[in-house]
Amino acid sequence: MINELERLCLLDGISGSESEVREYILSQIKDNAEITVDPLGNVIAFCKGRKKPKNKIMVSAHMDEVGMIVTYINSDGTLKISPVGGIDPRAVFGKRVRVGKQGILGVIGGKAVHNLSADERKKPVSFDKMTVDIGADNGEEVKKLVSLGDSVRFVSPFCRYGNGFVKCKAIDDRAGCAIMLRMIRAGVEYDTYFTFVVQEEIGLRGATAAAYTVAPDYAFVLESTTAADIPSASGADRVCELGKGPVVSFMDRHTVYDNELYELAFCVARENNIPCQTKTKIAGGNDAGAIHVSRGGVKTAAISLPCRYLHSPCCVINENDFENAYTLTKLLLDRTYNK
Amino acid sequence: MNTFDTLSQLCNAVGVSGAENAVAQKAAELLQSYGEVVVTPALGNVMCRVGVFDDKKPTVILDAHMDEIGMIVTYITDDGFLKVSGCGGIDSRILLGQQVAIYGKEKLIGIVTSTPPHLEKDSTAAPDIDEIYIDTGLDGERANELISLGDIVLIENDLERLQGGRVTAKAIDDRSGMTAILLALDLLKGRDTFYNIVVLFSSQEEIGERGAATGGFLSKASTAIVVDVSFAKTHGESDENCGIMGKGPMIGFAPSLSGEMSDKFKLIAEKNRIPYQIEVMNGRTGTNADAIGISGHGKATVTISIPEKHMHTPVEIVDLNDIENTAVLIAEYLCNCDSGEEASV
Repeated sequence: MINELERLCLLDGISGSESEVREYILSQIKDNAEITVDPLGNVIAFCKGRKKPKNKIMVSAHMDEVGMIVTYINSDGTLKISPVGGIDPRAVFGKRVRVGKQGILGVIGGKAVHNLSADERKKPVSFDKMTVDIGADNGEEVKKLVSLGDSVRFVSPFCRYGNGFVKCKAIDDRAGCAIMLRMIRAGVEYDTYFTFVVQEEIGLRGATAAAYTVAPDYAFVLESTTAADIPSASGADRVCELGKGPVVSFMDRHTVYDNELYELAFCVARENNIPCQTKTKIAGGNDAGAIHVSRGGVKTAAISLPCRYLHSPCCVINENDFENAYTLTKLLLDRTYNK
Repeated sequence: MNTFDTLSQLCNAVGVSGAENAVAQKAAELLQSYGEVVVTPALGNVMCRVGVFDDKKPTVILDAHMDEIGMIVTYITDDGFLKVSGCGGIDSRILLGQQVAIYGKEKLIGIVTSTPPHLEKDSTAAPDIDEIYIDTGLDGERANELISLGDIVLIENDLERLQGGRVTAKAIDDRSGMTAILLALDLLKGRDTFYNIVVLFSSQEEIGERGAATGGFLSKASTAIVVDVSFAKTHGESDENCGIMGKGPMIGFAPSLSGEMSDKFKLIAEKNRIPYQIEVMNGRTGTNADAIGISGHGKATVTISIPEKHMHTPVEIVDLNDIENTAVLIAEYLCNCDSGEEASV
């Protein structure tokens, strides 16, 4: 599953430009599911099980990642950009990026530190002042290579480090996609809908349409969530911690999760000796926010990987958490099909 | 000699100020075909006496600094995170969310911690370097086994091509100066020069021009040409304060430099139709020229600077054409600086 995660993370797909990820996923599951690609670009994969369940179940992960979009080409050949999804501009300055369909290399930088005032040195460069330099001198030259609306992606190699940690861009939410691919390949006991959705990072948009189409009784969202288990945060501010198992929340900014499913998740984890934790802060949100209010309402749970430095080029998860999230999801589905 | 290839070998070598061993080894390797190479014992400068010296000729130093900015481990927390300090004036606006290499007992990967936007209450301040932590993914015990205080931490971006002749990497400051000097030596093969040439690839420039001070003394030269990078204009900056990338080497004019040499360089650039720019500084230069100029009995010194964008970040940019023109200009100067014509000032 780690190799699958590497392949998925290194594909580029900011919100609204998920086709590379979608094509890869389709190529992997075409023989294992009945597949529809809806008008937004969501992949809805129906996996026929050996049995028909009492409840219609939807498992969902999003294909898109945060990034930037080209909004203007300056006459000096630099590009103006805006963030797509929630990005701290401080995590972008001084980084390499790839631009447009050709994946042109660029860097984000500005005035040399030597020439800044003492005040300016303390101030991060905001997106409206930020430019991408691709090494060109004039706008006309650049217009042959880059178009307005082109996507700008982080360059961040996949690597394993420390005691079982994995780092790459886009782990949010290719990790969820990797778990679903593994489940689809393994086959399911009961009929199950898997949705690989678009545009989560700009407002849970793909999931809104996919949930309407699938019309599930129960939904499970596989995600990555904010862990702040770093020395600058203590107590509740750490939110959740890597290595302590998948995260099941009772509430976040978009959703009050179904209480029965919440209890069941911890019960299943306990019975099977799988570490599992909840968040100590009402923060963040995911596609559950859209799915649980779909049609007349859907009982929904999210199983998330605690992830450090979310929405930066260096997302970090723990390999054991990843494996445990897979196992917990599978066990939880088994207990829900005929609930 | 291939400019990209040489610059690539030098940029990819590790050499944070005070820990230049790897880049020094690479520098010695690249210099060995030109003359006798020594690594000076105290501060680790790499020096090369080029060809056979003629006692009747004066001696010139060609200087570029080997060291690059980086970080040094100052503390290891109980849960295995590192605190660091800067080696040189790192631009701390670039730190958050960077992958780093930690040169411990083995080379390790680390990440500069950041708080995700979902939780961050204040993203209006760039952190100071002493406020950041480096995530090693190790527990405290293992981190202490593998990492020691004083170990080097570095953001490593290998050299890659951008559009046209532009390239980006870490440490272009001042590996591009080293590359220009190596290219100049290549151009001088078989040509008679006015000077005996000592190449000084100096250590510890970024923390106070220390290698240059001692290397300058050891060289016994009377004259010095210091090749470093200087500021190329980036988006939104004014022409008055910067050089322009791609428009050639910047010849330094400053009270601390030899006006005669600056004039001569300008004349030679014009005669040979080498693109050049003028960089005026109002006192000292902020380069090795400051230390070399007053080393030993003192030296007539000039700066030749290569325009660079994003100085002191891992995404520095240089134009290979500027490096090559710098080499041509220096080679022509060394052959023709006694031509006796007055500079057109």
